[in-house]
Amino acid sequence: MRSKLAEWQLALPLGLAFAALFLAPLLLLVGVSFYNDEKITQLGVGSWSGFFGDAFNYKVIVDTLLLGLKTICTTVVIGYPLALVYMDLSPRLQKVLIFVIVMPLLLSVVVRTFAWIVVLGREGVVNSVLLGLGIISEPLKLLQTELGLVISLTQIEMPLMLLPLISVMSRVDPNLRDASAALGASRWRTLFTVILPLSMPGLVAGCLLVFASSTTAFISQTVIGGVRLIYLPLVIWQQALVVYHWPLAAVASLSLMISVMTVIAALSWIGRRSGGYVNG
Amino acid sequence: MFNRRQLLAGAAALGGASLLPSLAHAKGSLVATTYPGSWEDAYRSVVAPMLKKKDDITLDLAPLFAMDQIGKAKAARGAPPFDVFLLDPGPRIVAIEGGLFDKFDPKKLSNLSKIPDGFADEYGVCVSAQVVGIAYNPKKVPKPTGWTDLLKDPWASRLGLTGFQTTFGTSSIIEISKQFGGSLTNIDPGLVELKKILPKVAAVGLPAAMPGLFQQGQCDVMYTNTQTVSTLKGKGVDIEFVKPESGAIAFYTTMHVAKGTEAVENAYKYLDLVIGKDVQAALTPEPYNFLPVNKDVPLTPDMPMKSLDEMAKYINHDWAKINPLRAAWIDKFNKEMAK
Repeated sequence: MRSKLAEWQLALPLGLAFAALFLAPLLLLVGVSFYNDEKITQLGVGSWSGFFGDAFNYKVIVDTLLLGLKTICTTVVIGYPLALVYMDLSPRLQKVLIFVIVMPLLLSVVVRTFAWIVVLGREGVVNSVLLGLGIISEPLKLLQTELGLVISLTQIEMPLMLLPLISVMSRVDPNLRDASAALGASRWRTLFTVILPLSMPGLVAGCLLVFASSTTAFISQTVIGGVRLIYLPLVIWQQALVVYHWPLAAVASLSLMISVMTVIAALSWIGRRSGGYVNG
Repeated sequence: MFNRRQLLAGAAALGGASLLPSLAHAKGSLVATTYPGSWEDAYRSVVAPMLKKKDDITLDLAPLFAMDQIGKAKAARGAPPFDVFLLDPGPRIVAIEGGLFDKFDPKKLSNLSKIPDGFADEYGVCVSAQVVGIAYNPKKVPKPTGWTDLLKDPWASRLGLTGFQTTFGTSSIIEISKQFGGSLTNIDPGLVELKKILPKVAAVGLPAAMPGLFQQGQCDVMYTNTQTVSTLKGKGVDIEFVKPESGAIAFYTTMHVAKGTEAVENAYKYLDLVIGKDVQAALTPEPYNFLPVNKDVPLTPDMPMKSLDEMAKYINHDWAKINPLRAAWIDKFNKEMAK
């Protein structure tokens, strides 16, 4: 009993910080959303009904979630094979690869985003190379397209996919692969029936992080995507800092939070389920 | 391609500046906002050293567009994150309505007599004037003559657009709309025309992103102010300013002391310095091209006007009428321009 109390007390500082810095502002956000007017004087559900009474905002929410899912797909398709390669590397090369993976995190996201302007722009690296090789005659439009945005987000978010994936995969017993091969399974079968299920917790964790980060990546979305691709963070910024309609900004923020958390809950559920499958 | 300052400016403009100030309320310091880009360059390299030298005040600059300044000041509720605002006419009215300014006493400015009558009032002081028109890359597209050219080829497919977030964006779309039967309070005709050319338009971006997009060749024609053109030119970008045939837009840029600031005295010293001859004379020539408000500082020959008296001949917009409509315009722009 005594030790339990001590444990509880140990969690107290974090709990209080959490309450003060996260819960209280969140409640404030919820509170502000229940005002009708931008001067925050008139209580009501006008901001909610206004936001959800506008079909355009549904499109924005769906586009935001789709952007997250697309980024998940590309980071998995590129990241997973890289994690497989990592498993087979010598410890020294593994360290090099980890460094390469972590390196982008050491740069500000602003720098990475502006670098992508230079790469994807009309007179950027990609277009110059393709034009120079005679593959295209007119510059491709990559900047301010969803394709360009997904390409850059894939690079920007890649560490968030790879780090949890690698940490889980490096704990997978290499003997399991040998055992699978010895029992006659092909490499593909080993991958899909042994490695993939065992790496599922890492994969799901990576997906969660990539999803949460890419759906809220305001700078990348607006600088690379431009303002014709409208995602929730842009709506929040406009309402909060351009129009000063805080109740609407609060509704948009909560919508972003709720929709992202719903997808995250679904992903965790899949993760738990696959975990059960592996252990069962 | 981008130096540290530009990147910081970009980050700040995009909302990252909240961490910048707060450090600076030590004695002999002042936090003032400035616009990202040419204003920041000029104030950092010219005004900050002068203020340090003359009054031993360390100037911290928070690069923020006018509307962002209001947003942050409102969010801070009585504890302003900076001591001095730099604003355009529209946001100035919003800030006055929101009670964000300390009552201003022009008599505290020793240089008051050097600026024209009416340039300082109970809210703040005019520090410069801005002229908005069309910028284009002379190596890529022919010189456009007016707003309607932007909607025709070859310009339309090289056009960079921004919405109603800034004064220059709002003013320019109003002027485009006027060419098609719109007015100060009716921008619909302009949006209809812009929407027609939207599939081929080169870029639609946030205001803070536009100079970068122009520099990178993503767009070759855009609407902007004369200072942005000078700054980009100073960086070796092929860019020229055009006064549209229907007239360029001009407005005064003002500075204000934030309500609740503890650095009131330093703020007045700063404002006095800014309208003083030394700063105004230093910011007038290339590469800054700021329109001076000090009577002792003549305008340079390549400026869009010969004297501030010409301001009356330029297009002036009544922001008291524009402000109430802007939220709906931003919403409309989102919807019309969205893919």
